[in-house]
Amino acid sequence: MERIILDVDGAGDDILAILFALGAPNVQLEGVTAVTGAAGSVEQVTRVVLNTLTLAGRDDVPVAAGAWRPIVGNDPKDMLAPVHFEKRLRARFGDRLSGFNPPAPEPVRQAMERHAVDFIIDTVRSAPGQISVVATGPQTNVAMALRQAPDIAALVKQFVVLGGCFRTPGNITPVSEYNIWADPEAARVVLRSGAPVILVPLDICEDNRVAPSMLTRDDLADLAAGPPGPVVDHVVQTFPIYIDIWREFFELVGFPLDDAIAVTTVIRPDLFTITRPYFVDVALSERLVRGQTVVHRGRQILEFDGPVTTRVCEGLDGRGFMAMFKDALRAVDARIPT
Amino acid sequence: MKPVPVLLDCDPGHDDAIALIMAYRSPAIDLLGVTIVCGNATLDRTTVNALRILEFIGAKDVRVAAGCVSPLARELVLGTADGPSGLEGSSYLPEPTTTLDPRHAVEFIADHLRAAAEPVTIVATGPLTNIAFLLLKYPALKPKIARIVLMGGAVYRRTEYITPTEFNIFCDPEAARIVVDSGLDVTMVGLDVTMQVLVEEPQFAELRKIDTPLGKVLLDWLKFYEKLHRRQMGVGGALHDPLALAVVIDPTLITTRDAHVAVDLTGQFTFGATVADFWNERQLGTNVHVASTVDTDRFFDMLYVLLRD
Repeated sequence: MERIILDVDGAGDDILAILFALGAPNVQLEGVTAVTGAAGSVEQVTRVVLNTLTLAGRDDVPVAAGAWRPIVGNDPKDMLAPVHFEKRLRARFGDRLSGFNPPAPEPVRQAMERHAVDFIIDTVRSAPGQISVVATGPQTNVAMALRQAPDIAALVKQFVVLGGCFRTPGNITPVSEYNIWADPEAARVVLRSGAPVILVPLDICEDNRVAPSMLTRDDLADLAAGPPGPVVDHVVQTFPIYIDIWREFFELVGFPLDDAIAVTTVIRPDLFTITRPYFVDVALSERLVRGQTVVHRGRQILEFDGPVTTRVCEGLDGRGFMAMFKDALRAVDARIPT
Repeated sequence: MKPVPVLLDCDPGHDDAIALIMAYRSPAIDLLGVTIVCGNATLDRTTVNALRILEFIGAKDVRVAAGCVSPLARELVLGTADGPSGLEGSSYLPEPTTTLDPRHAVEFIADHLRAAAEPVTIVATGPLTNIAFLLLKYPALKPKIARIVLMGGAVYRRTEYITPTEFNIFCDPEAARIVVDSGLDVTMVGLDVTMQVLVEEPQFAELRKIDTPLGKVLLDWLKFYEKLHRRQMGVGGALHDPLALAVVIDPTLITTRDAHVAVDLTGQFTFGATVADFWNERQLGTNVHVASTVDTDRFFDMLYVLLRD
């Protein structure tokens, strides 16, 4: 069993990652922590997480709310850019867009009182060498946990960081990916912590070279053709708009499942092509490149010191992943008591 | 008058040490607890220093909690004024018999704020890491903070470095930005005023009159502490942190001007600079009361009174 804490920022693919983690083989989901990110405030993210777990009949999974802002963040105008993007989407999709990241209804239960940072620290300390922290939003919670309790760097099994890009162009600047850009200082803390890190960049999630890993309407048809259940029904109803947006605006063949892919690195590393450890760093200071991930490979004249601890995912067996993904959703439904 | 409830966050440090003694001794202050951050020395050293000082002055009832071992987003660069231990020149301070509070400083502060009947004043005399962490982690507790008085920054005057920065902000500029942008009532007691409370010969003469063990330790501290000031700037030791603390006891010791203070994070030579906009050119309103003048004589009078008896 792989014991996982999932740290999410509550956008559409985070929901799928939670459902996937609940149904995937060999996963013990220790808890889900929420962080401010792509889907808005940490309160909204927390509600999304709670509602998702309720949908899956798993109100037993601990949920903790975390950071309400990044350590430094970015110019407010830039941080609002995703909102303006949604206006363009509305112009194209009209009312269909109301199903895209909708305001979460009031959940049936509350998150725990403990802060996400304390939940991460306590859980990692309670099971040395066993806990993988899979963070699929900005790295704020993980960085705060490392700053509050530096000892967890030596106790965690690994940090999985969803973020960054190398061959694939960035999605917030030409060279930066949103999660890293949203809190680059936090990402740096994690990458320099000395703990083992697996970096899951855009290259193996949001790039047509890994097209078989993306959710398409064919996949929804597959799910719909199988046994019905609350989770499968929800995904089949909710995600067509996501698929259409990503096809039309990002020119991808389907909706990329970045966050579920990040979870998969822990339980099925054999599905990935992954590098040896490198020192990976983050550019901080110019708007054009803020949040760029830089792998120290090759030979350079200047020296840069940092821990050689981050392995970068470079390839993914998309078909193998997608088969497992759909099986996992069905498995969650099969376990919900009727 | 009712004493002001205060939490002191510090990195002792000679001048922090004096601020700590003043806070404990002043009837105007109800010292709820002391939290420790790295800065003048590593956290283990600043923590032991705080415990030793409190032991020495018989303040064993004051709880101490250790906080962050490094700045929020940078490697720790240590201060240079206080020597390797952070409190050189005082070899005969007792070893502490009290134990550290088991909580992290951030939890310690948070618990005190939750339990406080009235909003608490936070005096921060080191890098702002613990306070920024508190604001990152528990934003809902902001209404329980009456104000933050911080020693840090520089606006008008030449500084002790070749960059326009002051150490506490330079050490953790990201934390400083979080604090000044918090929306809380922030008073910045920077080098503009603290470099005007210098221990020169007349002040040494007054301090020598305090014929107590505490007076002797203080003289030893200040003799060590002035070395860097004397060598680099040709002046006596500046009582940076005691002035920040004194402002809570008597707000009329300083005058302030309101401004928007931005903390530079990326300048090649200027990161950590506190760049004040008094004319509202940035159209960002004001976020800080910037201390601009100080009544030096009245400050020292207060200090002598608190150190006597």
